[in-house]
Amino acid sequence: MNKFVLLVVSLSTIGLLQAALQAQDLLPSETTIEEAVDHYIQAEQATGNIQPASQVDDYILLRRTMLDLIGRIPTVAEVEAYVTSKDPQKRVKLVDRLIQQPEFIEQLAYDLNNILAPAGKTDLELYLADALDKGKGWDHIFTDMIYGNYEEEMPKQAMQFVNLRINDLDNLSNATSALFFGVNISCAKCHDHPLVSEWTQAHFYGMKSFFNRSFSNGDFVAERAYGEIKYATTSGEQLDAQLMFLTGSVIEEPEPVILDDEAKKKEKADFEQLKKDKKPVPAPEFSRRAQLIQIALRENDRDYFAKNLANRMWNRIYGYGLVMPLDQMHPENPPSHPDLLDWLARDTYANGYDIQRLVRGLVLSKTYSQSSVYQGAMRPAEFWFATANVKPMSPRQYAAALALASRNPAHFDDPNEAASRIQNEVKAHRGWERKFVVPGERFQVSVDEALLFSNANEFKDKTKVANDRLGGELAAIESNEEMVQRAIKAVYSRPATAEELEAISAYVEARGDRREEAISQIVWALLTSSELRFNH
Amino acid sequence: MSVNSDRRRFLGGAAAAGVAASSMNLDILKAESLSNELKKSGKRVLLLWLAGGASQLETWDPKPGRLTGGPYQAIQTSLPGVQISELMPKMATRLHNTAIIRSLNTQIGDHGGGARLMHLGRRDEPNLTYPDMGSVLARELGRSDLQVPDYVSFYTATEGRGNAVGQPGFLGARYAPMFLTTDNKPANLSRLEDITDLDHKERADLRQMLSNRFAKGRVSESLGSHNVAYGRVRGLMSSEKLFDLSEEPQKVKDRYGNSLFAQQALVARRLIEAGTPFVKVARAWWDSHGQNFETHLEMVTELDHVMSTLLEDLEERGLLEDTLVVTLAEFGRTPTINASLGRDHFARAWSASLTGCGIKGGTVFGATDEDGQHVKDNEIGAAEMFATIYKAVGIDPHHEYFVGSRPIPLVDPGTHAVEEVLA
Repeated sequence: MNKFVLLVVSLSTIGLLQAALQAQDLLPSETTIEEAVDHYIQAEQATGNIQPASQVDDYILLRRTMLDLIGRIPTVAEVEAYVTSKDPQKRVKLVDRLIQQPEFIEQLAYDLNNILAPAGKTDLELYLADALDKGKGWDHIFTDMIYGNYEEEMPKQAMQFVNLRINDLDNLSNATSALFFGVNISCAKCHDHPLVSEWTQAHFYGMKSFFNRSFSNGDFVAERAYGEIKYATTSGEQLDAQLMFLTGSVIEEPEPVILDDEAKKKEKADFEQLKKDKKPVPAPEFSRRAQLIQIALRENDRDYFAKNLANRMWNRIYGYGLVMPLDQMHPENPPSHPDLLDWLARDTYANGYDIQRLVRGLVLSKTYSQSSVYQGAMRPAEFWFATANVKPMSPRQYAAALALASRNPAHFDDPNEAASRIQNEVKAHRGWERKFVVPGERFQVSVDEALLFSNANEFKDKTKVANDRLGGELAAIESNEEMVQRAIKAVYSRPATAEELEAISAYVEARGDRREEAISQIVWALLTSSELRFNH
Repeated sequence: MSVNSDRRRFLGGAAAAGVAASSMNLDILKAESLSNELKKSGKRVLLLWLAGGASQLETWDPKPGRLTGGPYQAIQTSLPGVQISELMPKMATRLHNTAIIRSLNTQIGDHGGGARLMHLGRRDEPNLTYPDMGSVLARELGRSDLQVPDYVSFYTATEGRGNAVGQPGFLGARYAPMFLTTDNKPANLSRLEDITDLDHKERADLRQMLSNRFAKGRVSESLGSHNVAYGRVRGLMSSEKLFDLSEEPQKVKDRYGNSLFAQQALVARRLIEAGTPFVKVARAWWDSHGQNFETHLEMVTELDHVMSTLLEDLEERGLLEDTLVVTLAEFGRTPTINASLGRDHFARAWSASLTGCGIKGGTVFGATDEDGQHVKDNEIGAAEMFATIYKAVGIDPHHEYFVGSRPIPLVDPGTHAVEEVLA
């Protein structure tokens, strides 16, 4: 069935780029992001007669917002303060406060690093945190990472995106296309793309040409002023690659510099010396990497860059992209909401590709605060955005959630001490990150994780009955009902349901002779249950 | 035609009805006939991974009397006209279930690249992680009602371990291997002493109840996988005894022998017997750049003993019919003997063996020239080898997975199983 459907679509000529031409029909640019989101999402739902899920209560919304913005669950004290507040502006105030916290940038840098850096490499994260902290827009960050910016701090960290991939130019070209422009061109290496007529071998080798003169010179990436790419078509024809961007725009460039053997020898010696001195190599007068920056961001070609940012941030917040898969942003795989993606792209480039601003708008929409539970009979598919998606936590979020939920909640009651205590607790558990896998599309939890929690000695400490642990506080509460209420609020940030009260109380009563063990087991069950593992 | 109506068509019937698509994309598209299901039912694969690259000349493709032949002779096997190295006298008497493949040309001659190729059956591609053979087999042959691990991988040596790819790739963590490196027992499989078995079970039930309540009204593939993972814990724990050789009669242990490889082969047999669809036992390190002949005297002798014992044991238990035993490596070794009396990496003309399930026993496929420098007849690559393995256990090698809308066949398009060795 899939193949047939693809065929139907491929006959159409409508796509991404043409949709961009209709920009004059978009909502005015003064509209707020949250209004634009709700307008386009609701209009689309109306055309499909889709009934959205109800709005969530303050408990869930607080937890979701804190996880998305600062990467952790709230403490019991924070839950109480938020839900009892009568301030009609409390939601906006919360979002604005969280976005200003250092954890906002820390988490953003961590997530971006997980997308951009090869697994396990973290130098880029240092750069990203620094750049975001300085208020750099995504265009600026892109420039630092692809071209380099040697006047500022951390140039070599920024260059890791390129430097770690430079020995495999195919990989570097494709990673750049996929991660910055939402376009996976790997199929087009060996043949014109079978499904997307717009992507040919010329595009693949065109993208590769932006990098082919670059090479790793120690911590830095250097570039020569010569070097061409030739490739063979499927019919065996030998062609010279042009400096061509994904949009098909071609850059006219000066003739390559020709060096005689003597000059080449000197060039090589210079590079070696700079490498020894741990210094960057000055870019050539005509830098192909600089050309990539210029063309990708210029008015007629910036669509891919802007839409990719909007789509990836949308996916990060809503758990499902406007274009899925995220690296298949091409005319034959149209967005679920083309106008919305156009509007967001326009908004982000008009506002300096400011990620913080974009995220703020996305979380303030009504679409964001829908429930992840659908009460109706037929749950609408994800692309309607009629319910919130259940998102697996990142390793860092899960480590923080386990750290905070297993701690005696009273530890965080004192408002003067809370901030530093929370921070210490979270930082002390960073080591747990390594036990979990960074979730990608279609993420599955491994049985190793379940076995670890079920039987590993190192997890036992989280569930024990001790003064500094949740179990310690619970054991001191005589009434089972109060005990369960406290436990559920500490771990799930909400009141307990009747069903939970009954089941958990029964569990404890059945173990009247060993209440402490029973409580430790309850804490285990709460911490390992899906409700803590996911952001909902 | 508007963009929106296009999209409706693109997204198909489920979208038109406004209903969430099933969370298991891979499964909807699997759509397999019942007869195919029956073909695969109960089939298993045991891979003996000869890490570092065993020499084909000292095993399946000797060249006695040639300059490249080395000091060892060839011996006549139970098959008329077929000779193998004299280092394998036991296998020589029992080739009736085995097919020898002497014509692999896999082109990649470095350990990392070669091992990846022979685990994945294809070259890597940026931005798409392919599953390895074990994950594919775990998925295709595994049964959800069986409480045993479906992919177990032993690799105790440190040399080359990083090359032994066990990755579920786009199939997802459900099909990741249980990877044993230090011990013959997997980590976290036994209950801690301070909780009783009953409490361990009941707290898991309580967890399940809480999670089920949470999952009500919510749909997510990841959420489903979380509960599936916990649902497997107790079953896997009960399979702990499969890793415990003290449960095996002394007579059987003696028969296999005391080497680590022998013991792991015996654990592998226990797992296979209990229904585990894929087990890999790695024996390292065959990388004999120097002193090739001493190394192979020791290691081939062990392989001959362990492999023949394993095959006999499986046959006596009636398991060989449904179990495919494969010997494979990242490559073979050069016919040319170097100055250190070693053999170097050689991917151009080397051998593998297939025994048992789905295999036409007593066959030899392909041939190298008289010095073993080139494949003379019936050259095949990694993809054909993988297609043959899949087909032998009843899996259509051209079956396609879908990653998004992109079809990914099990083996590279245009490659086929070697029918000559299939029963």
